[in-house]
Amino acid sequence: MAASTSPSDDQTRIQDVLDVSLLKEIARNSLVHSLNSVQVNGAKTLVLDPSLAGPLSLVIEVSLLQVRVIKCGGMKEPDSQEQQHGVDKMFWLEAGPLSAVTTNIVYLCRPRIKWVKIIADQIKRHSRESKSHTYTILLVPRVSTLVTRVLEEEGVLGDVTISAYNLQFIPIADDVISLENDNAFKEIWVDGDETSVYDSAQALHTLQKLFGLFPRIVGKGDCAARLTDLLAGQTAQSTNTGPDGSLALSEKFDSLIVLDRRVDMITPFLTQLTYEGLIDEVVGIKNSHVEVPVSLLNAPSNPNAPPSAASTSTAPAPALAKEKKRKHHLSSATDPIFSELRDLNFASVGKRLNKVARRLDEDYKARHKAESVAQLRDFVGKLGGLQSEHQALRLHTGLSEIIVPHTRTEIFNQSLEIQQNLLASYDVPGQITAIENLLAQGADMQLVIRLLCLASVTTGGIRSKSLENIKREILQTYGYNFLPLLLSLAAPPLAVLLPNPLSASTPAAVAELKYPFTSLRKSLRLLIEGSESLDELENDISYVYSGYAPISVRLVQCVAQKGGVISNPAGKEKAAEEDADGRKGKASAAAKVHAHPIVGFKGFEDVVGSIPGKTVDVTQQSSGLGGADAVASSAATLSSHREQTTITVVFFIGGCTYTEIAALRWAGRQNQGENG
Amino acid sequence: MADHPTASWQAMQNGNVFYRRQQLYSLNGKLPNLGDYIVAGCRYAGPLAIMRDNTKLIAVGRATPIFAKAQIQIYSPAGEGLLLFTWDQAKVIRFGWTGDERLVVVNEEGVYRLYDLQGDYTQFSLGSDAGEVGVIDARIHETGLVAMTGSLHLLEVKGWEGAKPLTLANPGLSEPPFVWTLIPPDFTISRHVEVLLSVESSILTVDNLESVDQRVSRGPFTHMAPSPNGKSLALLTFSGMLWVVSTDFQRNLAEFDTGKVVGAEGDVKQVEWCGNDAILVTWDGLALLVGPFGDTLQYFYAGSMFSITEPDGVRIIASDVCDFVQKVPVSTASVFRPGSTSPAAILYDAWENFSHRSPKADENIRSIRPDLVSAVDEIIDAAGQEWEPVWQRKLLNAANFGKAFLDLYNPTDFVNMGKTLKVLNAVRFYEIGIPITHSQYNYLSPTHLISRLTSRNLHLLALRVSSYLSLPPDNVLKHWATAKILKSKPVSGGAGKDADMTGDEEVSRSIVEKFEKLGGVGVSYAEIAKKAWEVGRTGLATMLLDHEPRASDQVPLLLAMKEDRIALQKAVDSGNTDLVYHVLLHLYNRLPLGSFFRLIEDGGSRLAPASRLLQVYAREQNPEMLRDFFYSDDRRVESAVLSLEEAGRMQDPASKVTSIKAAQKFFSEDKERAFEAKMMDEYSRLLNFQQQLEKESSDQITFFGLSVDETIRTCLLNGMVKKADKVKSDFKVPDKRFWYLKLHALTATRDFEGLELFSRSKRSPIGYEAFVRHLVEKGHLKEATAYVARCDAHKRVDLYVECGEWRMAGKECKDRNDKAKLEQLRKSCPNSLIARELDQIATSMK
Repeated sequence: MAASTSPSDDQTRIQDVLDVSLLKEIARNSLVHSLNSVQVNGAKTLVLDPSLAGPLSLVIEVSLLQVRVIKCGGMKEPDSQEQQHGVDKMFWLEAGPLSAVTTNIVYLCRPRIKWVKIIADQIKRHSRESKSHTYTILLVPRVSTLVTRVLEEEGVLGDVTISAYNLQFIPIADDVISLENDNAFKEIWVDGDETSVYDSAQALHTLQKLFGLFPRIVGKGDCAARLTDLLAGQTAQSTNTGPDGSLALSEKFDSLIVLDRRVDMITPFLTQLTYEGLIDEVVGIKNSHVEVPVSLLNAPSNPNAPPSAASTSTAPAPALAKEKKRKHHLSSATDPIFSELRDLNFASVGKRLNKVARRLDEDYKARHKAESVAQLRDFVGKLGGLQSEHQALRLHTGLSEIIVPHTRTEIFNQSLEIQQNLLASYDVPGQITAIENLLAQGADMQLVIRLLCLASVTTGGIRSKSLENIKREILQTYGYNFLPLLLSLAAPPLAVLLPNPLSASTPAAVAELKYPFTSLRKSLRLLIEGSESLDELENDISYVYSGYAPISVRLVQCVAQKGGVISNPAGKEKAAEEDADGRKGKASAAAKVHAHPIVGFKGFEDVVGSIPGKTVDVTQQSSGLGGADAVASSAATLSSHREQTTITVVFFIGGCTYTEIAALRWAGRQNQGENG
Repeated sequence: MADHPTASWQAMQNGNVFYRRQQLYSLNGKLPNLGDYIVAGCRYAGPLAIMRDNTKLIAVGRATPIFAKAQIQIYSPAGEGLLLFTWDQAKVIRFGWTGDERLVVVNEEGVYRLYDLQGDYTQFSLGSDAGEVGVIDARIHETGLVAMTGSLHLLEVKGWEGAKPLTLANPGLSEPPFVWTLIPPDFTISRHVEVLLSVESSILTVDNLESVDQRVSRGPFTHMAPSPNGKSLALLTFSGMLWVVSTDFQRNLAEFDTGKVVGAEGDVKQVEWCGNDAILVTWDGLALLVGPFGDTLQYFYAGSMFSITEPDGVRIIASDVCDFVQKVPVSTASVFRPGSTSPAAILYDAWENFSHRSPKADENIRSIRPDLVSAVDEIIDAAGQEWEPVWQRKLLNAANFGKAFLDLYNPTDFVNMGKTLKVLNAVRFYEIGIPITHSQYNYLSPTHLISRLTSRNLHLLALRVSSYLSLPPDNVLKHWATAKILKSKPVSGGAGKDADMTGDEEVSRSIVEKFEKLGGVGVSYAEIAKKAWEVGRTGLATMLLDHEPRASDQVPLLLAMKEDRIALQKAVDSGNTDLVYHVLLHLYNRLPLGSFFRLIEDGGSRLAPASRLLQVYAREQNPEMLRDFFYSDDRRVESAVLSLEEAGRMQDPASKVTSIKAAQKFFSEDKERAFEAKMMDEYSRLLNFQQQLEKESSDQITFFGLSVDETIRTCLLNGMVKKADKVKSDFKVPDKRFWYLKLHALTATRDFEGLELFSRSKRSPIGYEAFVRHLVEKGHLKEATAYVARCDAHKRVDLYVECGEWRMAGKECKDRNDKAKLEQLRKSCPNSLIARELDQIATSMK
């Protein structure tokens, strides 16, 4: 909806390279296991929930799944001839008849009523046509009573076997893992369905089982509190019943920071300004896949021709739209240029692309210098790498070309201006009028509502009269059927679109949710004032929004990098002098911000307390320790690990934006510089 | 001092093989005369169940009270009475033991019960068919039973969980077999139970697939017994010929004529196996052990007796003793056989010499130096085979002595044997009465032994054994708690309910304390609570449930106990939404709708998540229920939204409008929602107007369902300008928006004249820059240029540039005398032609 700009909705950031491929391995194996455990022989037809295809493709090649299924069947009876010939088919789970030839049908879906009804429908249809199939439903991530009930109501429960495929964290980059649950935000804050909180707790518990207990859990927000409780319960239970007894404290983690999306609603309302963020805003990133025109992906016709420097000429966007699109997996693992670019402010992307292009050009030119056969061979050896880099460069240049015209539009620039003004609380009524203007120009509804909510949150509500007016205009422009949306935005626990003053009869809950933005702006140094150039801004996480630091990341800094919150740009000049990059210089960075043992929100209690929602701070112990020496021991753990790099895990309930990830990466780099 | 082990040995096969008879307990009349009773013995040193045989005459006297009803008594092998219960059902056909020491009693009506040693039973049925035709006989093995029905069919029950009986292949009998038996599934090749029936002169083998006539001509038989490993079968013909064959009837193993036995009087009572290679044939007062080659040993007893086959021997229970007859184990024979020169024997000799301070010890040890390891191992094993602790100790000492001469020896076996013997001796004590042998113990596993102790309510011993063997105490604790609940009757006396409560609290506390002290963390409180609930102690059950950490275990029981609110509360607290659904859907089915709603509404904020989950479910699956729910809770806004959502799904215009009107009504009932009500009113008016429009355009153009703006746009695109104006005024569309709409629409239809006219109709509320920009964006540069002149002066230069009119831009600069701007233009201009023109202008400006 309007709020969440990131496609993946429960994300964890790990500030150091942890072996996340382990998680991928687990996910893959458990899928194979689930398919294997389907108690049938012979060929299977797999019917896949489209919303799962994305997440699954990060774990296993969906196109290879077919082969896999055959193999799975084959594993049970390797000598069976039939199975090798068994043609397995894959269908999307969608309404309408399913014409499967195989006797075994396996449905793989999330436990949504919608899917179950379709399944029930298809089964009933088959039985009417008196076709007999064996049905198995694999639910992700676990079996649900709801599904059983719906199947029962539809009268097909007896025909199916239900089991589960426990898909948990999926690594989407080597430092980001996600549950890839698209609807988490809506489910939690609009429907009040906290299933994803529970699932998250289970997934985090798996993480603990792999890497050890988080020594400390710090969190902000009601759901965060709930998650922490659940996690503690899980840990207690597994220490009780687990065969291996108690879980040891992790040596790799120093803490887990849990944040509700509700704690920082401002950030997702803003336009993301990093490269990856803008790709998401303009093109859309879904499960780390982006749809791009085929021409960008195909190998250039003349690979030896050096690419032209990143041209910013306006390629006609409509022409591109007509081209056939293909999904491309954006990943820093296979694409070094992307890892370089993803977290940059878009303003500096052009420059960087240019630099890469030049370097590539020089590398290509190296062939002219090759005089001996040996040198030539060296060059040919490098050629493969060069070509793939060339390919990547082409892609990113193309993507920038798609994005640039968008950033030049009137509406885009107006919206940015409104955002900056609202953040600075400058001329609020004027901004409301500006929003109305955008509306009149027929801007995208999502944009308008994002801006409107931003206005409401930053100012503590919009004047009732103009709010009603603008709501009316929204309904008239986009349709009256969006009224429930407006109501949901205004209702607790979301309450991001409020009139000011609140009407007398508004429940107290709403008033409590009011966001103290103006005071936060000061205490958390959210806005970097002044007309500093972008280069200087890069000394602070605020570079990701060109001057605004995401509250969520500031909160993380409150826990893990207190210096970063308070420090004024004072140290900045020094840094800038010392190092062109301004931040990797160890000496200056050490003077400014430094990592320290995790002591919760200490020093920021008041600030954090002023944000609505519960604050959590739990110290976990390995159950072997008694209660008395808990503090001492945790302190000991901390001090003993000071020398080595520890990892702080940040978990967002309800999704986070790419810019926040970028900001966290930045903050992480600083700590690493200190910790070595 | 106990006799030398060999004192109980008897040689067979010319002194190559020895059998020993070990007295386990002396009974001295603790048991009644077994001859008058039907007896069933439990294998693996288990107890004995007896029931009066009604076909036998009995002298009425003081010692034998008369029972009107059948009674079943259970005795331990040491003759201690464990249980006595009265059978009040139809006539007992057969009783026998399960592997975990429960007594199975089958009656003629096809009902069977499983009694544990505390007298609690669970009852199952063999199905209605069996009930109708009756059951005439049954055979019970450790993991199931086979019953023969009145119609001579065979029914098999697998396991003891009340599984549905399976019919075996029809043997096609016309009369009951002379005798029959079965081979348990674990010991057959097919891994399914095999039934052997003696019919006429042959034997039928029946399993679940087929019935095969084995074409044996020596029948009929009076006794039939499969060996413990299921490989051989002992048969006794009417003529008293004992015949042993392999169970596939391919090999003749032995034959022996029992008719010629001296001293045998009367009929053969039992044919039982002693281990897997000898057979015990019993008469009253005489037991005859027949070895594999027809050699025999005779044992005399007073009166009738009963023998129970064990995998490593046979247990004989006579009126005064309980004996165990077995082939002397290899290791024991190796140590003690007279004249044995095995290393083990020499080692034992060495140790004896050593303890007598004789120097021969050293000589002995040296002579067996290379075999010392195996000698030690053998002696340790022999220690396990001894019944008398004295000899156990001697052998272990000998082993220890031998061990000392070895540099590297893994003592695990030695230590384990010591521990095991300690446990075995403890349970063999006559008060406990489990005369289990070492090999039986190994076969059954320590956990099984502990569960046998708990089933006798010997919790303390069980707990000590389990902690001695470092096994988790969970099962013992669970059994203890259950027993405790059953034993502790709600305190009588005191004032009614109060006393009851304190009793509950006490029990609950003592259970929880014990668990916490002993670390019984794996015990599920829910299971114990369930037990408490089953015996009607609801209060206690609730208290215990509170200690259960796993909500998924708590909730189902709470639901069963009809503690709806607590169940829902616990489910919500657990955070497991699936559990919440489980409770909700269960309650929705059970409670009347009204009280179901009330339950959720009364829960307030604590149950709010449940309420929301219900809404999520109902929205998809049961909107009717949701409507009722909102209505009963006076939730106007939600009701309205629901109506609106329904309207969104509707295709039929009339009903859509009706739904929207309903939504409007709901909103209007809430003072706070005047705005929303007004919007809904507009919505329905819009829909009506759109219908009208469609009619006027004779259904050529679709309007229905469009938004206000889209309606205006569609009107304009189709030239219905008047209608567009009407929509504007009816819905009070602000000028600004209307102008943009009209601008976009007219541009799209390329009606530039109309646009020009429109732009002059009054002063543009959106300025003229918007005109220029939009036209440029759509590629109408020429038309755009016309509007530049009407824009703000300072923007004109840039706007001209956007229109591609560089010369105009230059002129504009000249008009405003802005040299800097002109210079900038010149720098950014696309080609030299324009540059030259701009230069000209620049020069003209001087």
